[in-house]
Amino acid sequence: MNRTSRFRFGYLPVALIVYALLLVPVALVIITSLTTSSVPTIPTDGLSLQWYGELAGSSQILNALVVSTVVAVASAVVSGLIGTITAFGFVRSDFPYKQTVSTVLLLPLMISPVITGLAIVQYAGMIRLPGDYPVLILGHVVLTLPYVFLIIRARLVTFDETLEQASLIMGANWLETALNVTLPIISPSVFTGALIAFVVSFGEFTATQFLISPGTTTVPVIIYTELRTGLTPTISALATVLAVIMLVAAVIGEVSGGDA
Amino acid sequence: MLEVENLTKFYGDLRAVNDLSFRIEEGEFGTLLGPSGCGKSTTLRTIAGLVDPTEGGIYLRGDDVTGQAPNERNIGLVFQDSATFPHMTVEENIEYGLKMSGFDPDEREKQITKYLDLVQISEYRDHRPTELSGGQERRVSIARALAYEPDILLLDEPLTGLDRVLRQDLRNEIKQIQREVEVTTLYVTHDQEEALSMSDKILVLNNGEKQQEGTPTEIYDDPSNRFVANFVGKSTRLPGTVASHDPPQIDTPIGTVPTDTASLDGFDPGADVEVFLRPEDLSLADAGDGVLRGSVTNVEYLGTYSEVLIDAGEGIQAVLHTSTSANVDIGDEVALTFDPSNVIVLEA
Amino acid sequence: MIIEGIPVPKFVERRVSSRSLAAFGLGFLTVFYIVPILFLYWNSLNFGGGGLFSNYERAFSNIYLVTLGRSFYFGALTTVVTLALGYVLAYYIAFRSSREKFLLGLVVLPLWIAYVIRYLGIQLLLFPSSPLVQLLGTDFGILFSTKGVIVGLTTVFLPFAILPIYHALKSIDEDLIDASRILGATQLRTVRSVILPLSLSGVVAGGIIVFILATGSFLAPAMLGGPSDTMIANVIEQSYSQTFDLGLASSLAVIYTTILLVLLMVFNSYVNLGEVLGEL
Repeated sequence: MNRTSRFRFGYLPVALIVYALLLVPVALVIITSLTTSSVPTIPTDGLSLQWYGELAGSSQILNALVVSTVVAVASAVVSGLIGTITAFGFVRSDFPYKQTVSTVLLLPLMISPVITGLAIVQYAGMIRLPGDYPVLILGHVVLTLPYVFLIIRARLVTFDETLEQASLIMGANWLETALNVTLPIISPSVFTGALIAFVVSFGEFTATQFLISPGTTTVPVIIYTELRTGLTPTISALATVLAVIMLVAAVIGEVSGGDA
Repeated sequence: MLEVENLTKFYGDLRAVNDLSFRIEEGEFGTLLGPSGCGKSTTLRTIAGLVDPTEGGIYLRGDDVTGQAPNERNIGLVFQDSATFPHMTVEENIEYGLKMSGFDPDEREKQITKYLDLVQISEYRDHRPTELSGGQERRVSIARALAYEPDILLLDEPLTGLDRVLRQDLRNEIKQIQREVEVTTLYVTHDQEEALSMSDKILVLNNGEKQQEGTPTEIYDDPSNRFVANFVGKSTRLPGTVASHDPPQIDTPIGTVPTDTASLDGFDPGADVEVFLRPEDLSLADAGDGVLRGSVTNVEYLGTYSEVLIDAGEGIQAVLHTSTSANVDIGDEVALTFDPSNVIVLEA
Repeated sequence: MIIEGIPVPKFVERRVSSRSLAAFGLGFLTVFYIVPILFLYWNSLNFGGGGLFSNYERAFSNIYLVTLGRSFYFGALTTVVTLALGYVLAYYIAFRSSREKFLLGLVVLPLWIAYVIRYLGIQLLLFPSSPLVQLLGTDFGILFSTKGVIVGLTTVFLPFAILPIYHALKSIDEDLIDASRILGATQLRTVRSVILPLSLSGVVAGGIIVFILATGSFLAPAMLGGPSDTMIANVIEQSYSQTFDLGLASSLAVIYTTILLVLLMVFNSYVNLGEVLGEL
């Protein structure tokens, strides 16, 4: 600390601006959801949960919450499975251009989700994939797979392979070894990866707008559509619910994967 | 019984093991001894099935296991870093191999109790390996490797990373357990003390090739070449040429060294040789006597004996083990004598 | 619980290798991501009247080119702003603060919240009856303008700049900083000649990520920009869902994707993107 203590750089104001940019908008969403006014402002005369009551009374919103949850859970499970298998394959094998090929796996993270949405919705039409849940889940699996892959790859790189060798020598075949030794030991990371996939899926909007059907509208899509007609405390309340679910999932994921 | 026949292993262009053959009899304790990179670990991993040999065969109790997967061979292996399963208790670690080898529940219980007892960690039965000390963890991995009664026990430098006292304790215990269980054992180490104290038979390896095979006494007292003589035990080393067979004598830069006829077998007069004298074969004499003379440069007190270093001139350093009661100090001029029959003569 | 007695038939044993597991994941992504994108290339071609590349003729018309240019311009602008702000904050967290973990946690926290919520928060901050606007009497014309888009993109992508720079700063050997000071360099000189060059990898990595993500943004212009601030993602979405012009949507998508892939190849030759993303 000492070596830079005489540094007069003026970074404190910058730090304040950055943290304000990062945190104030989110805080504002939460605060304005508690207002008693019909416009989403900072509550001045007491707090109210009436807008949450309104959410609970809307079958459209409750339905969207169910859809979002179903899609996010399904994406987390499928992504977790495929991501684990893929990360395993990449860490444990060597082939030409492995580095480049693994960058291909990260493309859904880098190419705009608009492209992913557009490409998948058209492709689903061509291969006759049912236009509700399957398309939506498929799109979200593609979008979340890179996260799971990255997390589990990082864990496997530090995995002590002599544990697997010990298991083999003790008479277990590779499948028994994978199920009894490798998976239990890396399971916290798999769990973390799946939860991150859940979070990403739960909040995704840009690709999702291409993939929804009337019966499978997700919460972020509702928020975006409602916004077109103006800001309301109800939107803030819905956004808060979404944010809380995402944060809780993320925190559980981070805590459970502590050693990863 | 383990037989290794003409084992050769290449890693790319690198030859790790070259045409190695040896045999460990039923119940025998064999050791592969050599410096790091000598091919001993590769050999062990080949026997375990973790590495495929480039050429050669592995036979366990007479069966050819060369092409078999590790889980098809009935082998116990103690890893250098224990490799105990961190997500299982001590008991579960041991039970794992028993289950995979098809022991029924009653037998499993019996074996777990027996082997926990044998390695003296019964009280930690329900602990996780992460809660144990390094030494206790090694014990778990030894019990784990033995419990399912493998045809052979392999140990890959199992004492690495432990402190000296613990190493010595475990060394004795491993030997004791091995004798009690009568399991055929192959031990891999770079530590000559471990090898000499535990083994029925030692194979000294260097650069992937067998240098010598024999009992600890044969290896120490009768090394077959300079590598073995240097690697196993300490010596005073003198370069020289054979002066005559009768009397048997060798010319060295510091004078003529008497030896016995047998040690000069196969050497013509004038042949270049190297003379090795073990520290305990040297004894202090009155100044003026003996071939080796010089001043004491260091005295290291080692409890039961002292190690004395002497500058004998011509760049030759003599090393001597003497009783701690001997009165030697740094700077003293001393002379050393030895029995000519103890002189080791090797091709230079 | 130990699972046992699962036989692995010989032919499976022989075929299932680590490589085949990697191939499985790659195959999945190929079938459900790469191939769909390749179909965009196919769909972008016109098989009706008016020439095979007529969609491209329209796509390369002035307004779409301007939009494309604007996307990369906004991306670059966002990159510059986030790097400048991000570097100072990363430096502060890495060397000056006593509560590193906490401050870093506050940077990571917003990453777990949906973009749509964070942009909503900015709207709430800047809309006419917000307390801030009431207090200052103006929103400085930020909302629904180019400034709004840049503020939004900066807010949302700042963590992607801060984290790589922070990691780069933390990996600088502190002895080097001490050595520079012992050799008599002033603080500012130490920053300029030791810290900045050694943290450049983090700056480059963060800059690339922010640039790529910002360029492809849909929500920032849609929620915070005016009618003349649309970016390429918005135009693609509009031509698909509003004018139902699949050919145009596909050809615009193809142009954007191709440019981005080329950029990614160039970037990837400088930094290993997989490693950078893995650090986040």
